[in-house]
Amino acid sequence: MKKILIITIFATSLTACSKLEEKLGSQQTTGGSSGGGGVSASSVLAGTYEAMKLPYQDQSRVWASQEHTSDECIAPTRAGDWDDNGVWRVLHSHQWDANHSFLADTYRDLGRIVFSATDLLRLNPTPAQAAEARLLRALAMYQLLDGWDQVPYRLNTANTEEVPSVRKGVVAADYIISELNAIIADLPVGPANRANKDAARVLLMRMYINKGVYAKRAAPTFSPADMNQVITLADQIMTSPRNYSLASNYFDNFSKTNETTGSENIWTGDNIGGSSSGNVRSRWFCTLHYNSSPSGWNGFTTLSDFYDKFETVDKRRGGNPYPGMTQGVLPGFLIGQQFNGAGTPLTDRNGAPLSFTRAVKSVEVGSNLEVTGIRVIKYPIDYTSGDNAANDYVYARISDVLYLKAEAILRGGTATNNPATFGGSNTALGIVNFVRAHPSRGATALSSLTLDNLIDERGREFYWEGTRRTDLIRFGKFLAAWQEKPASTSKYLIFPIPARSLAANPNLTQNPGY
Amino acid sequence: MKLKLLTKRFIYALLCMALTLTAGAQTKIVSGKVTSDKDGSPISGASVVAKGTTTGTQTNASGEYSIEVGATATKLVISSVGFGTTEVNANGANTDVVMKATGEGLTEVVVIGYGTARKRDLTGSVGSVSAKNFNKGPQTSADQLIQGKVAGVQVIQNNGAPGAGTTVRIRGAASIRAGNTPLFVIDGIPLSNTNSRPDIGFTDVGGGSPAGNPLNFINPNDIASMDVLKDASAAAIYGSRGANGVVLITTKRGAAGLPKIEFNTSVGFSSIAKKLKVLNGDEYRSALAANGFKTSVSTAAVPTSNYGSNTDALGAIIRNGITQNYGIAISSGSENARYRLSLGYLDQEGIIRKSDFKKYNASISSTVKMLDSKKLSVDFNVSTAQTIENIAPISNSAGAKGSLIGQALQWNPTRSLYRGTSPDSLNILYGSDLINPLAYSEAYFDLAKVTTVLASVSPSYKLTNDIEVRTLMSVNYSSGLRKQYLTPYINVQDINIDQSLPSSNPNFGKGGEANVSQNELVTKQITNTISYNKQINKSINLNAVVGHEYIKTDFGGNSEYGRKLQPTDRPYYYFLSSSDPSTRQTNGFQDPTQELQSFFGRAIVNLNDKYVITGTIRADGSSKFGKNNRYGTFPSIAGAWNLSKENFMSGISEVSNVKIRASYGLTGNQEFPAGASQLTYILSGNPGTFGQAQIANPDLKWEETKTANIGIDFSILKNRLAFTVDYFNKNTSNILFPREAADPVTPNGAIKWTNIDGNVRNKGFEFSVNAAVIQKSDFNLNVSANITLLQNKLENFIGEIPTGEVNGQGLSGAFAQLIKTDYPINSFYLKKFTGIDKTTGISTYEGGEQKFFLGSANPKTLAGLTINVGYKKLNVEMAMNGAFGHFIYNNTSKGVLAFKNLNSNKNVGKRDYELGLSLGEKPVNPTSASSRYLEKGDYLKMSNLTASYNLGSLGKNIKSSSFFVNAQNLFVITKFSGFDPEINVSKPLNGVASFGMENTPYPSSRTINLGFNFSL
Repeated sequence: MKKILIITIFATSLTACSKLEEKLGSQQTTGGSSGGGGVSASSVLAGTYEAMKLPYQDQSRVWASQEHTSDECIAPTRAGDWDDNGVWRVLHSHQWDANHSFLADTYRDLGRIVFSATDLLRLNPTPAQAAEARLLRALAMYQLLDGWDQVPYRLNTANTEEVPSVRKGVVAADYIISELNAIIADLPVGPANRANKDAARVLLMRMYINKGVYAKRAAPTFSPADMNQVITLADQIMTSPRNYSLASNYFDNFSKTNETTGSENIWTGDNIGGSSSGNVRSRWFCTLHYNSSPSGWNGFTTLSDFYDKFETVDKRRGGNPYPGMTQGVLPGFLIGQQFNGAGTPLTDRNGAPLSFTRAVKSVEVGSNLEVTGIRVIKYPIDYTSGDNAANDYVYARISDVLYLKAEAILRGGTATNNPATFGGSNTALGIVNFVRAHPSRGATALSSLTLDNLIDERGREFYWEGTRRTDLIRFGKFLAAWQEKPASTSKYLIFPIPARSLAANPNLTQNPGY
Repeated sequence: MKLKLLTKRFIYALLCMALTLTAGAQTKIVSGKVTSDKDGSPISGASVVAKGTTTGTQTNASGEYSIEVGATATKLVISSVGFGTTEVNANGANTDVVMKATGEGLTEVVVIGYGTARKRDLTGSVGSVSAKNFNKGPQTSADQLIQGKVAGVQVIQNNGAPGAGTTVRIRGAASIRAGNTPLFVIDGIPLSNTNSRPDIGFTDVGGGSPAGNPLNFINPNDIASMDVLKDASAAAIYGSRGANGVVLITTKRGAAGLPKIEFNTSVGFSSIAKKLKVLNGDEYRSALAANGFKTSVSTAAVPTSNYGSNTDALGAIIRNGITQNYGIAISSGSENARYRLSLGYLDQEGIIRKSDFKKYNASISSTVKMLDSKKLSVDFNVSTAQTIENIAPISNSAGAKGSLIGQALQWNPTRSLYRGTSPDSLNILYGSDLINPLAYSEAYFDLAKVTTVLASVSPSYKLTNDIEVRTLMSVNYSSGLRKQYLTPYINVQDINIDQSLPSSNPNFGKGGEANVSQNELVTKQITNTISYNKQINKSINLNAVVGHEYIKTDFGGNSEYGRKLQPTDRPYYYFLSSSDPSTRQTNGFQDPTQELQSFFGRAIVNLNDKYVITGTIRADGSSKFGKNNRYGTFPSIAGAWNLSKENFMSGISEVSNVKIRASYGLTGNQEFPAGASQLTYILSGNPGTFGQAQIANPDLKWEETKTANIGIDFSILKNRLAFTVDYFNKNTSNILFPREAADPVTPNGAIKWTNIDGNVRNKGFEFSVNAAVIQKSDFNLNVSANITLLQNKLENFIGEIPTGEVNGQGLSGAFAQLIKTDYPINSFYLKKFTGIDKTTGISTYEGGEQKFFLGSANPKTLAGLTINVGYKKLNVEMAMNGAFGHFIYNNTSKGVLAFKNLNSNKNVGKRDYELGLSLGEKPVNPTSASSRYLEKGDYLKMSNLTASYNLGSLGKNIKSSSFFVNAQNLFVITKFSGFDPEINVSKPLNGVASFGMENTPYPSSRTINLGFNFSL
């Protein structure tokens, strides 16, 4: 037995017991300032701006959730193209569910902005850095509240075991408002492509105008106090040292040089041509035909009922030459025969005339399926920067400030005089007509202003800018039937919490009806 | 007595003759055949030694031996497992020996992990296959040797590429994410499921390129037996790695005797097993006409899809492949030192051009007994292998770079692959997204090289007759290298030379892309065991082992990638320095070191040969587990009752053996990445920032499977007919899943490895039968068959996990499978196709966009059948296997061959076109992922048919030669319309594996091998 013992001891001593402490290889366990891994408030702030690009500029995130679900946009299935297993069709026809991949990804990607901004706050930021991060976070939270009614958040991003808490509805709205009010003083005045004071103010305006919606989406009420807040903020922005003015060409606000020429832009996402850009190019790639220049993906169109809301004189409808757009495509709506830069008529891939039709169906079945639907070019094409287009992505413009003020007056706010630079009017109608009549728009003045023609006017001014769903809900129009969409039930006023998010966080509850 | 006397006289007579014949010679040669008294079957591997000497040999597969002994030698000692030891007189040239089976054949020893057990002591469910029952003919990888041979084991060749990976599942799929591959153990050394072959480095081909097979390095000729441990009683000794079952591979060892050299050679001819039919040029033209497209021959002015030719694009990239296989094994030894040296070479040409697989093997194993007492024994083993593959660009990706087969199937058959008449000028469609498959095959180069060295030394010391102490130390080193490049003349975005650049631009005239990656995988192991094996008294036999094991694994690698290189006619990966710096990517990774430390023990107690009880326990500690769960304990208990030993059975002579077994126990699955329990940050970008990648879970632990097993072994007519039936019920909980961390998370997208609620239940029956139907001296018929009935269900699971990505143009975000509670995992979740609307010509679906659960990818029934007929020197063996009751999603039909391709200048599948026509389909019909492409996967495959003829000795030197013809994958009976129903193209979504998807894989081949084996 002694022998056994000796041998056993010998054998086990060869290996001695391991403590099994795991040592990492190319990963590391800390990334914060203590880890010396290069994480700082400025790098995380840059990362937070970076995290804005995907959810806002890609065609399948916030933009899809706001536009494809509305009367402004449809992605017709063209034989195999854009079938995508119905992912677009269910958006337009209001049939989405909790496994809708684009909606789920949008919810997740907005959360990433929230995380990154919160993460910055523990890295000893300057007051300005902290305020910038909190504004980006407030925007993402607004979008989450607006779409899903439930805004998850972390108190401590370093404590990864924490199950995120959730703010819902009015509570979330009040929190976002308090955040915005707290940071305005620390924010920089500009420029537009940085988080700035007026950006916070315009977001506050959106919070106040929609507050009643977040309290009761099916039948919102609007308090005069909230409306007066909208009006006060509008006046502050109009008199801001940024000296906003309506651009001489409506499309200058969206061009590849809009960083300098977009005189209406309050808040944009910075895109650096040729090197560092979000997917703003998808705004034209998704709509242009294969044989257009540049060759597009032949997808999204608008609907004829929406197109018909425009007068022929309205320059926002497009059709006019634009500097740099020399290859046949013009900004605005594309309808009828298309031409190349030399003026030669284009054909589709079957050799038929490339002539975009008014009619469009959710599923195209005809031989003309390549050419159906009116195409929309909101962002003048940047032909020189390749896949990294230089057009800064527009979050908010001064005309929105004017229209929200007009709406607040219509909804019971106390009118104030506009500054002279914005027409000086103190009526809702006057404010709206100031924009319509501006040479950059060239539309005829409205004779009266009602909620019904204001929502149409908002469509004309802000089409394809990613706010339509929010507007339609606020005006009580979102569930109505429109082209290629039957009337929908009230559960579709709120998106479902994505199944995978729900599984990961017990503090989330599925929204009613899903 | 009379007989004995007679025999004696006869032997004396023979002896005299032999003496006369060999008079004057120093040595003589004795040869003969050793057979079993039971059924006359040959006994292979029996040791034959001249008595009182160290001269010895082994019988070959036909039971034949030949031994050169001293002229004065009079006796041979012959021994074999299950037959004990026999002495015969070494009388002369031909001495045949009939050996009496001891213990009715039940002393057969089975390898059970950290030791062996007498087969009669087995309480668990173990499927053993020895070399003679392996699938015949040259096989690339070890798992193919037992395909269809063991009940409950499903072996799927993932695709037809030479050296391709396999999917092995034992008793169904228990895990959503942690992998369902069993643990492979070779001579006591567990193998990692990771392969050091780097993934492809081109983004469009992506991680979707099929993985190589981690078992490729083993030379199948070196394998003596494979034992499959299926239930907890058998597998619990492997603790946290036993839940998917364990496959023990035992290699051949040298036997005492004169040096023996065995050669095996074969040459094989492979061709595509099924060539999917697409429209030919004329059919395509009529299809265009019938669907309202212009059909005049296309010119610049008249764009149509008719280009006037007749082209067979798939035919242009397939070929007949030749496989050569050579093996030499030299073995010899004395009672105290034995060795075996083996060399192997396999050169397999794929049926797709520019794809092949070469394997070089060299291994040596030896056993040395030392000290005067011979109590110290040392085994050592060095096995080296190198595999070299040329890989064709066939992945699960629909991207331009990864779908050579799809490109070929879709190529417009009216369009020539060549420009004009020159065969040197390939018709590359610059400016188009249509890719000429032949040109792409020409442009694409992908070389992978994996070098493996597995070395072990294992000293053991017998403290007493009953107690043995053993240490096993091993190193398994594997290094993988992959080099790829794509030449700039192909019309793939970003690869083709940019014609539009001004010549002043530094990238003018540059193009192509190249990648070089290398990985290194090192596993070190030390195992210490003490075993005790004793017949304690008349009624109690104890077989016990305790041990400690420590395994450490390191895995890392790096890669370099660049685009826009200077044109060259040499491989572009040599010139990465000329690439455009802005396109360069260099990456490195090093996984956390994995340490596994275990303590284990097992006792098998046999009472009166009637009752057997086995208890097993293993405690596994792993550095991967969360710090709150460092050690897991995995016990199992089992019992067996040998009814045939009971007195009441003694009168029933027809029944040879009846044994009832029952077991229950716990096993684990820990196939999740190292570092999964920790908060980790990864460096990304340049200059680089660290971002959270993973959220900590200090409670992370293994997946846990509780298995109950009840089985009966039943044999009659002197074991000529043997049945085994098992019922099993596996319940897997603590499901491992890399859950996306709860929103909001870091922009990198952090995940959290979690043991989520819910359980996967796999239950079913296994039936095996072995029948020696005919046993005559010159005519044998043996049949063995197995059937497995399987049920799989996910229970108590919250949430839904989509997988089975369906990608391609117009398919963003689409998937085919959904993991949801109360359904089998890998259930298909699709729109229900109800037909084609006659007026519009487009598909209609039940409930519009609604989706339904429409069956699962898991077979309900598996079957294997082997029939062996021996007539004199001819032996014919037929092996079939099949799977039934499951569905396959045919994404080739949907994504590659659809009717709508007529719209876009692409070809259409013949079946798809005819079916579409009969339904009134129009080319405008979008093809949503739907039940239309869900097909029954039932198949029965003639996987192996071999005829061998035993030539015996040829001349003076060549012995036991035989010739064989072997057909692999001869035919398959199925209604599945794709290439091959035995398929598993990985279509993961967010890392969740799919199952039962076909997505234009490397097609299967049919191979005819001719071989010649002999020994010297």
